[in-house]
Amino acid sequence: MAPSIGTSVPRVDGPAKVRGSARYVDDLVLPGMLHGATVRSDVARGRLLGVDLDPAFDWTGITVVTADDVPVNAVPLIENDQPVLAKDEIRHAYEPVALLACEDRLRLAQAMRHVTLRVAPLPPVLTIDDALAAREAIRGADNVIKRYRITKGRGGAAVESCEVVVRGVYETGWQEHVYIEPNGMVAWWDGDTARVEGSLQCPYYVQKGIKGVFGLPDEGVDVTQAVTGGGFGGKEEYPTLVALHALLLARKSGRPVKLVYGRQEDVEASTKRHPSRVEIASGCDRDGTLRAVSVRVLFDGGAYVTLTPVVLSRGALHACGAYRWEDVTVEALAVATNTPPNGAFRGFGAPQTVWAIERHLDRVARTLGVDPVTLKRKNLLRLGDTTATGQTLKESVGVEECVEKALEASGYLEKRARGPIVTGRTARGIGAAVFLHGAGFTGSGEKYLKGKVAVDLLPGGRARVRTASTDIGQGTETVFRQIAADGLGIGVEDVDFAVPSTANVPDSGPTVASRTVMVVGSIVDAAARELRARLEAEETACGATRSAAWERLAADPARATSLVQYEPPPGVVWDDATYSGDAYPAYGWACDVAEVEVDLDTFETKVTGFWAAVDVGRVINPTLCAGQVEGGTLQAIGWALTEKLVTKDGKILNPRMTNYIVPTSLDAPPFTTTLVEAAYSRGPGGAKGVGELPMDGGAPAVAAAIEHATGLVLDRVPMLPEDLFEASVKGGAR
Amino acid sequence: MSVAGLALHPFTAPKSLDEALALLAERAAKSEKTVLLAGGTDWFVERHVAPAEEAGTLPLVLDVSRLDALRGISLGGDTLGGDTLRIGAAATYLEIRKDARVAARCPLLAATARDVGALQIQARGTLGGNLASGSPAADGVTALAALDATLVLASARGTRRVPISGFYTGYRKSVLLADELVEAVEVALPPEGSPFAWRKVGTRQAQAISKVAFAGLAVVAGGRLARLGLGMASVAPTVALLPTTRALGLSKPLAEISDADVEKAVLADVSPIDDVRSTAAYRRHVAVRLVQRFFGELRGS
Amino acid sequence: MSVTLTVNGSLLTLEAPPAARLLDVLRERLGLTGTKEGCGEGECGACTVLLDGVPVNACLVAFGQCDGREVTTVEGLGSTAHLTPLQEAMVTEGGAQCGICTPGMLLSAEALLRERPRPTEPEIREAIAGNVCRCTGYQRIVNAVSEAAKKREALP
Repeated sequence: MAPSIGTSVPRVDGPAKVRGSARYVDDLVLPGMLHGATVRSDVARGRLLGVDLDPAFDWTGITVVTADDVPVNAVPLIENDQPVLAKDEIRHAYEPVALLACEDRLRLAQAMRHVTLRVAPLPPVLTIDDALAAREAIRGADNVIKRYRITKGRGGAAVESCEVVVRGVYETGWQEHVYIEPNGMVAWWDGDTARVEGSLQCPYYVQKGIKGVFGLPDEGVDVTQAVTGGGFGGKEEYPTLVALHALLLARKSGRPVKLVYGRQEDVEASTKRHPSRVEIASGCDRDGTLRAVSVRVLFDGGAYVTLTPVVLSRGALHACGAYRWEDVTVEALAVATNTPPNGAFRGFGAPQTVWAIERHLDRVARTLGVDPVTLKRKNLLRLGDTTATGQTLKESVGVEECVEKALEASGYLEKRARGPIVTGRTARGIGAAVFLHGAGFTGSGEKYLKGKVAVDLLPGGRARVRTASTDIGQGTETVFRQIAADGLGIGVEDVDFAVPSTANVPDSGPTVASRTVMVVGSIVDAAARELRARLEAEETACGATRSAAWERLAADPARATSLVQYEPPPGVVWDDATYSGDAYPAYGWACDVAEVEVDLDTFETKVTGFWAAVDVGRVINPTLCAGQVEGGTLQAIGWALTEKLVTKDGKILNPRMTNYIVPTSLDAPPFTTTLVEAAYSRGPGGAKGVGELPMDGGAPAVAAAIEHATGLVLDRVPMLPEDLFEASVKGGAR
Repeated sequence: MSVAGLALHPFTAPKSLDEALALLAERAAKSEKTVLLAGGTDWFVERHVAPAEEAGTLPLVLDVSRLDALRGISLGGDTLGGDTLRIGAAATYLEIRKDARVAARCPLLAATARDVGALQIQARGTLGGNLASGSPAADGVTALAALDATLVLASARGTRRVPISGFYTGYRKSVLLADELVEAVEVALPPEGSPFAWRKVGTRQAQAISKVAFAGLAVVAGGRLARLGLGMASVAPTVALLPTTRALGLSKPLAEISDADVEKAVLADVSPIDDVRSTAAYRRHVAVRLVQRFFGELRGS
Repeated sequence: MSVTLTVNGSLLTLEAPPAARLLDVLRERLGLTGTKEGCGEGECGACTVLLDGVPVNACLVAFGQCDGREVTTVEGLGSTAHLTPLQEAMVTEGGAQCGICTPGMLLSAEALLRERPRPTEPEIREAIAGNVCRCTGYQRIVNAVSEAAKKREALP
């Protein structure tokens, strides 16, 4: 049987998707279903004095839920600080306060206009600087959600004694996921059992949230993933709140409830990428050898903690980039503001800090008078080097190969040396970024997760993978079948993938952190191999053929299933207290090269070419893998050039797809993707993670290209034409 | 949310223009509101973002999208020996794009139609709809301004013609009366091959609302402009006609019109604002540069 | 209002509010849930259907405007037994990831291929510029349409 790993098996859920028969949450209809809607705060901060229902309105047939209806009014997450429904205070615009449900959508829409929230406004904290100044204390006395400090060697104090010292400040704004399918859930109660189906990445996260709020045991909560139209982290933790709201309405009304967000509501209320400011001071030798760096990372967490501590952690751990430093201090701080809580978004803190370190090294290169890629190549982490947290890289470092391949494919060196090409009023330039992304949960995360997978032998020579890892477009359903098929020595067409439902799949941990193939895939592999070993033993013991052995085992409940729990590799040592050690079991590496044309009158930037070379350890499915690289890169390009969330008084002025601008096919460059394999011994077939890595390099590569084309140095994302124009007015461009 | 309320709207699709005009007149006389629906690319969006209406106040939706009298594209001679292009108000941008006569004799309009939204929007959007909505960002209206189009307004009382320069009276306000609709636009065509400019600077390359869009049309004779039409979107409460700049263009030989002259004139003609899409400073800069580029091309030709 | 229209080749007469969106009539009255709502305002293209062969956003079309017209949804491409070359290519080339934009994308591409059997890459990109995809980066969608064009040409 030819191995499946390494082949572009067409995605198994593809036919249903191209037929239009795949069922997303809004396609589900339950008999007797009510439609739900959420009443939200109009102001960013205040005391909630009351929720008034207009007595002149006919409320027949309309279910109303407020904070008083919530058994435990706190969303279980890292801290349980976020209420399910606001009770006495409003901490951000669009905060959910009341829920309505009705069978008739028009009556529901009309009812929404007849609910008034009585709020006594308070002065909101709206920016990182507001929060740090702490004139208004909205969390503790200092508005700080979390702090980390990473130190290596003599720390950042060593910067000042270096030959060349360079300083810079780099900023990034919010980014909204704009999965084309908005958030939604369908919920109903079977007696005391809560049942939920919807658009989500992590069924067990949702289950945990429901258990905590309603005081239910595992068996009392059943969460199923519907086909999900994109997530990118935006459906990691947020869907729990949607599910809770739908269940509250279902409980009060006694009917199933469908709660699906409109686009505007989704942009307004759901989580976004944390805005950041990163201040870097670095020291190096005159010959470009990097020595010391001091990084201050500031993230805006929004009104509640959600996953901010983990996002900040990853941001801090990526702040030194793909480079070797002797002396490091990273101080990372996340503050609270009265803006909608920020949360998981592909990259999870790393895009912000990688933007900073890459732009900073571009600045250092400029100061030294060398090409940034020359500087970066000189200082790339290699096997045997230690990272900022003191992790020695023992295997799987493919970054140099990535750099070589990207430079070659793009012709970077010749193009860069030629200088910008100005034709009429258009300037063309080229730029690069080099970066890494830790795969899997940080440090001891995987140990605490104890992720599990089950593989079952089924009659007829078939097998089934049961995992909580979801397919949200990235191809989990297909690549897990490939891994299991190879583990069992059968064809991929003989492997099924169970719909992720907490009722029948074990908790594999969440579909996040670029862990799905590397971590969960490795236990799919282990479970499949274990079954194969059982089959072989059965053949030997009974003198049976493979297929007879298969049917015997498949018929025996005690032996048909292999349930495997993830065991972190030995020798991965992490210290939470000192924030040092082996931050990630393995890193993905990449080099991005972007070519741009800038209109020197309108300052519009067109990305005319993009080359990515990405080390993923081992390619399970080339087409799906390249798809992750290209899709993630385009999101990074959107973040870099057009995606700006405009706010005023804590409210979003552009919460629609007409005015929050994501790239169309005419905005996207042609992509050339090279996949590199520096195998990781503990990943299935050698695979590491790929989902988030592409998000980290697109923006700095484009910024470097703009700089090459125009001489304009931009250190803030996004880089709209208006920003290039402002920079040209200040600095004088061509 | 309020799309649920769509179901309540009374709706009618009259079979002829006369029937539509009679109905419009009858309702206008009673101050009853009527929505003239063509492609729906504005109206459905407005309904989508508006809160749910109360049942008693809903306007009648009058579908004009299939009235043949409003859909034709024709090329004819005028009384002065020139050619007139007549486009029905309910002809779609896609039909305009695909029309061979438009491509040959009015390439400015074909270029504009191509930049409207994306194909799905072009397949439904109409000049009549955009004219009636009155957005200062309307691409099609910007081209009509540069073409010095004449709007044919019809009512049960008859037809009247209004030059585009006299159509708008303020932000989303026009001289269109409650019993009137736009029947067609008429353009006195320049000679074939006349230089033109169309440049839309939007938020992205498709599905974009303009930050600035510029339409220009010229007839050059003996180093001077014999005709100059200019239109600009998103720099004023209505589509701007740039009168100072037109006057400059017609006032002296092209070779004597400097970039500095153009800058001064354009800045006098535009009053952009900061908004969610862009800034006044950027818009001023782009407006000046786009017009300077056009004059530069004209000087060269 | 009673409207007679052809949906995926079948002639139907339906009573539904005429100002209701075609999108809602397709999804809720006819159970054709392949057409999706991503934004409700004609910006994302997930609701693209063919109206008399031309791609339109079904969220911007009034049901009452469809009398005597032909509507094609994703369910009208191919059959339960087989996928069209375009549908197949969309799968094999990696043009579909989460799949939510896919139905609309397929209809825009189908309309293009009917008019232009051998489209260039810029023509493909222009044809799908009204279909926003957040997953793929568009390269593989473009590849799929090119691949489908070749396969369609090769058909007898």
